[in-house]
Amino acid sequence: QEFQFGPCRVEGVALPRLLEAFRTVKETMQIQDNITSVRLLQREVLQDVSDAESCYLVHDLLKFYLSTVFKNYSHKIAEFKMLPSFSTLANNFLFIVSKLQLSMSRLNDSAHRRFLLFKSTFKQLEMETALSKAFGEVDILLTWMGKFYRL
Amino acid sequence: MKTLLTILAVGSLAAHIAEDSSGLLQHPKFQSSNFENILSWDSGLESIPGTVYSVDYKKYGETQWLAKEGCQEITRKSCNLTMETGDLNEFYYARVTAISAEGLPSTKVTERFNPLRHTTIKPPDVTCIPKMRSIQMIVHPSLTPVHTGDGHQLTLEEIFHDLFYSLELQINDTYQMVNVSPGSRAPIRLCSPPWVRPPHAASPPPDRTWT
Repeated sequence: QEFQFGPCRVEGVALPRLLEAFRTVKETMQIQDNITSVRLLQREVLQDVSDAESCYLVHDLLKFYLSTVFKNYSHKIAEFKMLPSFSTLANNFLFIVSKLQLSMSRLNDSAHRRFLLFKSTFKQLEMETALSKAFGEVDILLTWMGKFYRL
Repeated sequence: MKTLLTILAVGSLAAHIAEDSSGLLQHPKFQSSNFENILSWDSGLESIPGTVYSVDYKKYGETQWLAKEGCQEITRKSCNLTMETGDLNEFYYARVTAISAEGLPSTKVTERFNPLRHTTIKPPDVTCIPKMRSIQMIVHPSLTPVHTGDGHQLTLEEIFHDLFYSLELQINDTYQMVNVSPGSRAPIRLCSPPWVRPPHAASPPPDRTWT
């Protein structure tokens, strides 16, 4: 079981476990987000990502989830009693980012543009709304990451 | 004075419409097997004869709701949205509006739906050919309603590349379970990728663990 994001390889992460962790909190999370007309991880961010871009993009996205989404949303996580699932996701995202960091040399412009599109959509929303929408889109992120997953 | 009253009336009416009189309608949800995506819902506790339902749908992130043709002002409580939700990697919403005989609406939206994540796999069609000293089991590829851009109709095997089938043989009181991939000749066991929900099995294998 490994991720192969272009030149970047990450072993030891079980994608099914992450999907299951999110599945248990999906309904609770996505109910918080009633703005169905705005999507952070939109097609222009994730569609037709080349192998070369994929390592940079997944690195930027996971780092943002760790440093902004998970960090600022932990109070809600506790409130909704979702700590086990949250920990599984956060710890695995941390592990993946650490592995990616080792093999990344320089910036990839097109990957960075995709990430900036995601980030600008996030910034246009009120903070709490943006946080719950981003957390509710973890299944979209994992579905995309699944394209680079090898059993 | 008349104007004031009008404003008050409109205000309360608007508030009423916006308020979800949830007595008419509940639990709109997608049910999907082999990518046949059916929207269904229940009538509410206060539902009364003469209530009709209308269905809209859209992709997550889009502003415009689209009316589902054939499911406008219907009395039944289900609607086939297979064709409208055919992109396996897309995320969809559907919305049901119930309108009572007095014209009061109630609207409910489904959970976010992703065909690839939510569909369950039905057991395959199997032809059994008994021979002198053996039995030949032919498992037919399960066609799905999903088509590629050039119109090719996909089978489950083409969607889930690592799908394999499980054949359970019952000889007197003993069971034998064997796995095989599509196209090979050994016996078969139905297993799907980890993110697909467990299927309904005609004769469920004793040990239903998924990798």
